Amino acid sequence: MRKIFVISLLMVLVLSVLSGCWNQKELTDLAFVMAMGFDKGENKKFEVSFQIVNPGNVSSGQNGAGQGLPIAVYKSAGNTLTEAARNATKMISRRLYYSHTNLIAISEEVARDGILDVMDALDRDPEFRTTTQIVVARHSTAEELVSALTNLDKLPVNKITKELKTTESMLGENTRVNIDDFLAGLVSNGKEPVVNGYIVKGNKEQIGRADDLQKTKTETFLEANGLAVFKNGKLTGWFEHEKARGVVYVLDKVQSTDINIPWNGKKHAITMAPIRTKTKVSVHFKNGKPIINIAIEDEGFISEANTDVDLTDPKVIEKIDKLVEKEIKQQVMESIKDAQKIKSDIFGFGERVHRANPKLWKKLKGNWDNQFAELKVNVKVDSYVRREGIRTNPFWFNMNK
Amino acid sequence: MEKAKIKASQMFILVVLFEMGSAILVGLGVQAKQDAWMAVLLGLMGGLLLFLIYYRLFKYYPDLPLTSYLQKITGKWIGGLLGLLYIIYFIYMATRVLRDFGELLTTTIYTSTPLIVINSLMILTIMYGIHKGFEVIARVGELYFGIVYFMAIAGIILISVSGLIHIEFLQPVFEYGWKPVVGTALKQTITFPFGEMVVFTMFLPFLNNHKKVKLACMGGMILAGINIAITAAINVATLGAELFTRSNFPLLTTIGKIQLANFIERLDVLFMLYLVVGGFFKISLYFYAAVAGTADLFKFKNHQMLSFPIGFIILFASVTIASNYAEHIKEGLDVIPVYLNWPLQIIIPCFLLVIAFLRNRKKKKTPSAS
Amino acid sequence: MPILSKLLKKKQKQRKNDNYRQQQDPQKPENLPILREYKDNISRIKGEFGNSNDIVIREIVHCKHRGALVYVDGLVDSRAISDFILESFNENDIDTDGMDYFQFMTEKAVALGSNEVIHDWNQVYDMLLSGNTIIFLEGYNKAISGETKGWEKRAITEPSTQLSIRGPKDSFTETLRTNTALLRRRIKSPNLWLESMRIGTVSQTDIAIMYIKGIANEKIVKEVKDRLKRINIDSISSSGYIEQLIEDQSWTTFPTTYHSERPDTVTSQLLEGRVAIIVDGTPFVITAPALFIQFFQAADDYYSRFDISTGIRLLRILAFIIALLGPAVYIAGTTFHQEMIPTTMAIAIAAQRENVPFPAFVEALIMEVTFEILREAGLRLPRAVGQAVSIVGALVIGQAAVQAGFVSPVMVIVVSITAIANFSTPVFAMAIAARLIRFVLMGLATILGFYGIMLGLMFMSIHLCSLRSFGIPYMMPIAPFNMRNQQDIFVRFPIWAMKYRPMFISKGNMVRSGENQKPGPPKQGDDNQSSKGES
Repeated sequence: MRKIFVISLLMVLVLSVLSGCWNQKELTDLAFVMAMGFDKGENKKFEVSFQIVNPGNVSSGQNGAGQGLPIAVYKSAGNTLTEAARNATKMISRRLYYSHTNLIAISEEVARDGILDVMDALDRDPEFRTTTQIVVARHSTAEELVSALTNLDKLPVNKITKELKTTESMLGENTRVNIDDFLAGLVSNGKEPVVNGYIVKGNKEQIGRADDLQKTKTETFLEANGLAVFKNGKLTGWFEHEKARGVVYVLDKVQSTDINIPWNGKKHAITMAPIRTKTKVSVHFKNGKPIINIAIEDEGFISEANTDVDLTDPKVIEKIDKLVEKEIKQQVMESIKDAQKIKSDIFGFGERVHRANPKLWKKLKGNWDNQFAELKVNVKVDSYVRREGIRTNPFWFNMNK
Repeated sequence: MEKAKIKASQMFILVVLFEMGSAILVGLGVQAKQDAWMAVLLGLMGGLLLFLIYYRLFKYYPDLPLTSYLQKITGKWIGGLLGLLYIIYFIYMATRVLRDFGELLTTTIYTSTPLIVINSLMILTIMYGIHKGFEVIARVGELYFGIVYFMAIAGIILISVSGLIHIEFLQPVFEYGWKPVVGTALKQTITFPFGEMVVFTMFLPFLNNHKKVKLACMGGMILAGINIAITAAINVATLGAELFTRSNFPLLTTIGKIQLANFIERLDVLFMLYLVVGGFFKISLYFYAAVAGTADLFKFKNHQMLSFPIGFIILFASVTIASNYAEHIKEGLDVIPVYLNWPLQIIIPCFLLVIAFLRNRKKKKTPSAS
Repeated sequence: MPILSKLLKKKQKQRKNDNYRQQQDPQKPENLPILREYKDNISRIKGEFGNSNDIVIREIVHCKHRGALVYVDGLVDSRAISDFILESFNENDIDTDGMDYFQFMTEKAVALGSNEVIHDWNQVYDMLLSGNTIIFLEGYNKAISGETKGWEKRAITEPSTQLSIRGPKDSFTETLRTNTALLRRRIKSPNLWLESMRIGTVSQTDIAIMYIKGIANEKIVKEVKDRLKRINIDSISSSGYIEQLIEDQSWTTFPTTYHSERPDTVTSQLLEGRVAIIVDGTPFVITAPALFIQFFQAADDYYSRFDISTGIRLLRILAFIIALLGPAVYIAGTTFHQEMIPTTMAIAIAAQRENVPFPAFVEALIMEVTFEILREAGLRLPRAVGQAVSIVGALVIGQAAVQAGFVSPVMVIVVSITAIANFSTPVFAMAIAARLIRFVLMGLATILGFYGIMLGLMFMSIHLCSLRSFGIPYMMPIAPFNMRNQQDIFVRFPIWAMKYRPMFISKGNMVRSGENQKPGPPKQGDDNQSSKGES
């Protein structure tokens, strides 16, 4: 018995060793795809640009960080994503490896035509991560976006993902959107996805050239720019600056930002910087119609006061609070109105209604876009200035005395 | 039969590991969408009732495994046939779990590795465990129980710290009424995993303290049920009902979403560690039940001899029972519950209980009359 | 395996045919009585020993009685012989008090610690070879054996393999008596029982079994004795022989008996109810039964405070896991599961491996084997050369290999961490088990990545759970779990809370300490500083 056991064990082991290690892949045989860009193809449906990292030029080890470029971009065409990826193997010596892909860039053109045809491949593949960020390349091709070099972060992808994270928490005009979020928005009846826009600024001739990085002020650079609004899987419009911020406010992703308020007739006199913001969206029903209540609560500090104002007076602070509330409310209301104009429920109000009243939702579901356009939304903002930096009154206060 | 003796705490742990085994990995109760966790809890209640039936049977024959008392209750020939049926059932279920397990690995990480290699290495490990006996399996269970719990708690902490849990995804409760929930419970969760406790009818005589059977087994079922329900709820709260129903292995997708501090991410491997542990115990117990049943039915003195042929049957069957994963799952969802689980886990034990009750009443009456 | 067992059987048969004297067996054909004529006895000794010149035979004449002293040079204390035996033969003016001359010599004249009258040749050889002096007297068919043991002993030195910071600095030596004395000095109780026997048909090695009556489990004591009695082998060169002959299972890499050169460790094990086996000629004392977790308990754990020692013990277990899994995880991570490595790290490793000509497994194997060779060489080399080896090793492995591009710096890091982690296991036998299994796991990782590692670990845990040491499950008290005995497993409880002995080992007398042992500050208003806890 024991003999048979030992022999069969050995057989299986030997067999498995001899017949090769199926899933084994050495690091040096892999091409790490850091980003993929989707453009409209000429003959085929898509042109896919693969941004591949060149490890030797990124890591600063003992072997000396290479002087070469950290990334290489290859473009191939195909009617499906898989086809394009397989076609790319004609150009790349290593196996394309998607586990570390951190960015999907879609050109505006593709986004307007509908990008549904690439999504399933991304969703289904076990290697690819659906936590990957997705952006729309605005005013440029996705190829240009993934080919751009950056100077602070060696890997352009890191720049984009880190930047989105920083700007989301510091400014609140963009929010990180990954494939999962995007798909969830696509599938849901009561929510439409938003995607960050990215723009290549400056001289497009210089894209991907190393000598551009030799300047302190590079001629081309990448910038997060606006939120793309989708409807039925197609890009329908852009939200920018304050309006984008209004969207991010409702989505409860704003952490900090800057709110300028006028004081005594001077515009942008005082700036309040929230440090914590919390948005609560709730639904109540009146006469069989849903009404959305948005309650925003934020607290922060005064980061600038460019006018003669007595910040030691609690009453003044209260007044500032009121003004800030008004400002935020206005920003939020504007974005909601704009969204209603294009009948795209990017805030997920539909899902709220669904959760609160599934029966009513069944009735509204079919015609939600129109329902959304006429939806009544109440916004209530509570803002609190907690402290005002390391000075009490601004120097203006004494200057005018 | 092996003369093994295990403690109540070991039995408890085996029940928990067995019940959670593969149930946590596959999307249990996906038909109930966001109410999956309720379907699980309902299934648990049904399962507890079922276990009471097995428990009564065990009370009548406290020293015998299922295959032996089948013959006592229904006579030698019918009992023998039923016993054989149960052995085949155990083998088949072991096969299914092994297939599940292999499929999971081949679809996620070992995409180009043949199924048979994955499965054969697993079955060899299990055969080694079977060879060492039930007591050793119980001890290994104790060893891994702590590890599994540590991983589970770590996982829950990581998921909640990453801010992935959206409680609102669990709403609306009873969106489509209570029917799909009860339907899922009846069709699926009662029988899988809770009705699978029928396999423990083979092991109950091993317990050193017969008084603690109820406590150990039902306690284990309740703990496992709660764990599975929590997992289902976390899956839904993380993925949303829609993605939850669309995932082959929701837990894997949930774990894949963990991203913390730019360093703790892509933790699929954690999932695989659990997978091997859970798969091991589930297959081992089915396998052992089949081995012990065969030894009991055909009067083999040495059960270890049997681990080898039965192991090979399980291995080869696991590769051949379905030609693709969709077929395998379809069988699991539609055919198995109705044609196998219900009769073998619920109907036959009920009949057995009725007959045993009548027989034992007669027996009791005769001495009192005489 | 069958070939091996056949060989063993053959050997046994052979042994039966050999005419070895065997002390344990009373029915020996050559168990001859001592002859009356002392000259015959002497010639017999000369014949048996083949005129070996360390057998000193000195003939004496004393009050008309003739006789001879026989002893083995080097095993005896020559001062004792000259002062006590020869001195008594010089005294010509004797008063036998009506006693028989032989009796007189035994009881009065030979003024040694212990004298014995012996009658047969087996005893003669025994005594002679244990350092006694045999006195044959003309006309008596018996002989006097005087204890004159006194060979060169190594002094008690500091332990060389199991070091401790705060613990006692003495260690066992090669002399059985010294070792038993070291233990007796620590446990001053009549309940510390010692039983001795001789094992080895040729070597006749002294073995002592020590245990504390009333704490040790009688069954285990009996089992130990039975297993020792069963041993039939020509010689016992070291306690390692005994260890391998009394194990529950041979087909395992894990040690199922514990051995220590520290008297304090053995003492505490005796107090937990274990049995100590002391073998003459080995400074390592075996204790049994041994449990897995015991190999992670170092003497210092008990000498420093519980929080610190708990932390250190957990660290040790972590180190064991690293030593076991280090290179395997590296291989699995870099060849199968690149997705689990954080992106920047994956790129950094890829950059380093860019010019390495070997696949990860071969790279790891080369490094590991090189390291093992260096370690082994360092162990065997004379101390003076050891330095050179470590320099060469550091240069070859560390610098040159990386610079030549044969291995990647990450690999060097992995190998060194693994190596250092391996040395933190307190007992060498367990450390070496981890080292061996490491290679198996590396192979499995190469074939199937983490799945392979996991299966390997599963295999290992089944194996560990199936092991027993003298009938006690090896993984006790983790599996089977025992709540009451968790005081000294992963967390070492404060000494005052470790109230009970491990119940699976000792029987009966379970309580270690009295009630209310928790120390604390004196009660308020109490002028006397001598509260219970203070002392």
